[in-house]
Amino acid sequence: MFGHLKAGEKAKIINISHVGHLVKRRLLDLGITEGTEVCVKCVMPFGGPIMIESCGQCVGIRRKEADCIEVERL
Amino acid sequence: MEVALIGNPNTGKTSLFNNLTGSYEYVGNWSGVTVEKKVGLFKNNIGKLIDLPGVYTLNPLSKDEGVVTSFFLNEKFDRLLNILDASQLERNLHLTLQLLEYGKPALIGLNMVDVAASRGINIDIDKFSHLVGVKVVPVVARSGKGCDQLVNVISDEKETLERKILVYYGKDVEDTILLTAGELEGKTNHSPRWLALQWFEGNKYVEEYLRTIINPQKMEALLNDVTEKVKVKEGGKSLPHFIYLKRKMVIENILTESVSKKKAGTPLTEKIDSLVTNRYLGMPIFLALMYVMFMLTFDWLGTPLADLLDKLLTGPVTNAIEKSLSVVGASPFIHDLIIQGLVAGVGGVLVFVPQIFILFFFISLLEDSGYMARVALVMDRIMESVGLNGKAFIPMMIGFGCNVPGIMAARTIETPRERLLTILLTPLMSCSARLPVYALFVGAFFQGQKALVVLSLYVLGIVVALILAKVFSSTILKSETSLFVIELPPYRLPQFQALRRSTWDKGKGFVRKAGTFIFAGSVFIWVLSYAGPGGLKVDMDHSFLAAIGGVLAPLLAPLGFGTWQAGASLLTGFLAKESIISTMNIIYFVPKGENLQGLLSNYYTPLAAYSFMVFILLYIPCLATTATIYKETSSKKWTAFSILYALAIAYLLAGIVYQGGKMFGLV
Repeated sequence: MFGHLKAGEKAKIINISHVGHLVKRRLLDLGITEGTEVCVKCVMPFGGPIMIESCGQCVGIRRKEADCIEVERL
Repeated sequence: MEVALIGNPNTGKTSLFNNLTGSYEYVGNWSGVTVEKKVGLFKNNIGKLIDLPGVYTLNPLSKDEGVVTSFFLNEKFDRLLNILDASQLERNLHLTLQLLEYGKPALIGLNMVDVAASRGINIDIDKFSHLVGVKVVPVVARSGKGCDQLVNVISDEKETLERKILVYYGKDVEDTILLTAGELEGKTNHSPRWLALQWFEGNKYVEEYLRTIINPQKMEALLNDVTEKVKVKEGGKSLPHFIYLKRKMVIENILTESVSKKKAGTPLTEKIDSLVTNRYLGMPIFLALMYVMFMLTFDWLGTPLADLLDKLLTGPVTNAIEKSLSVVGASPFIHDLIIQGLVAGVGGVLVFVPQIFILFFFISLLEDSGYMARVALVMDRIMESVGLNGKAFIPMMIGFGCNVPGIMAARTIETPRERLLTILLTPLMSCSARLPVYALFVGAFFQGQKALVVLSLYVLGIVVALILAKVFSSTILKSETSLFVIELPPYRLPQFQALRRSTWDKGKGFVRKAGTFIFAGSVFIWVLSYAGPGGLKVDMDHSFLAAIGGVLAPLLAPLGFGTWQAGASLLTGFLAKESIISTMNIIYFVPKGENLQGLLSNYYTPLAAYSFMVFILLYIPCLATTATIYKETSSKKWTAFSILYALAIAYLLAGIVYQGGKMFGLV
């Protein structure tokens, strides 16, 4: 699960279908979907959002959405 | 010729717009700073350039993005100028492919080639241009490099490259496109292929448009058929996702043939990010920055400048006006009108220009540097707990400058409920027009802790907004859906030129208002205070103004400022918050050698002054803000609600401050 990664860890997205429709669409717009390699940049405290990087761009998403994304650690 | 400028958010669209048109537009660095359709004239007068909000795709999620789709469906233009971020080509090209399907002559401005090169990305422009099928001009929008060539290519009327269909969506989809095109034959000016594909992707705006020309039952049958076919053949994929993947394949092909990548070092942005969005330091850094901003505005820099200006206005300027009035032999009425009405009213507001410009400078700096989006990320956890999302914090920050652009900036929030909530709460952010009132009162009553007292008011505004967000989102605006995905643009070194213009753009409204609205208001207020039921030149306590303010005075008594003067100035404050100051300057006309601050202590106790400031902070959105709320929500009900809840909460809190303070023995 994405939400369990620590800052600095890299992973590849395997399944994004459990994420809500709107968030999935927006991530797709940003080029983040199944097969994308992402790196966790930082994790905000108290269950706050996480900042991920893919192809040189940074995106912030909420922890609970990140928890719905299945990833494979690289 | 009309050219539409379109591109992803954060691709430097607005910078390019400014460079191409020469006229200045507001440049910002967080997603969606372009909240309105803006039109500029090309430097060489070849036509008009229309700046559209940044979008990732033509299929909209937020209202801001819907603007673009409606523009494509309903408005006429001749050419498309698509701006791409060279370092993010893969994502940017999804939009480009949709634009090319639209079928209008297009041109690509490839921006940030310098950033891409520093990341080791090399683009073969000719090959890229050939593959995409449109002309491509490399530019660096922030410095203006390549913009001249871009203008030349735009001016070149004929399109030399041959148009081709870039994406083949497979037999089933292509067949349905042909069937749809058959239905549309002769009924639309738009490309049937584009309309059909947008509709397949679930674009609601296009679907609405198609419903007006094709039989809805027929549409449903076509769509169901193709959706089913794709699902069966492609292993359960949805139609929109299938279309996305087809485009992605084409993009990957284009990029493998025209782009080469090398390894490059860690960009500076990431180093800064590891600090400002640090788990533990993020919030303290934000608060520290806010503190520095307030100290500079109210203490270190702003106050000395305002005092200097005040001395200038009350001393030499007033003397010069008095002299010239006696030279021309003005009647006592004109003399009083100008000195007691205009100079006091307008001058009282102008004194605060330095402080307001310092504040606007900082807001521009935050926007232009890319820090704003980080603030949204850092604040999201708190905002989520009250039923909003981190993005709502950006309109609120802009609201510190002026509530009107703040409310308009709420358009970038995707879900309608969160957007409405943000619109309703942004007026609680203490805008720059409220600042003169605080500056006046803290100067009179809280000499020692000026910045701290003002900061407490700003924080109070935020806290009240957060509490009300929680209350509203768990009562009248209940809903589960919330969306928070935010792009964090790389940091950009703010350019002095851009900052200067952006600050001036925001600040000039304040100066203009002083010259028009406040000017007229001052004359009006002065006449009301000069005339009374007993005739002209009455004692001010028997003037019309006193009579009007007197009606409100008993209501305000529990808050600690039950005087007709307070009532009258609060009434004018609805027109514009800074007119509270000009009204007070007229009402308490200050004899020479004294100042309003000294005089105020005869009318207010420090506790009443704080209660008054709390009331001013919250009591009502100004006229311009109310009009904007109405425009943005298009609902009389919510507009009325925004006024009424603010009045109720202001009365309640000012009452608690005054009565509570008295209980604790404060005065």
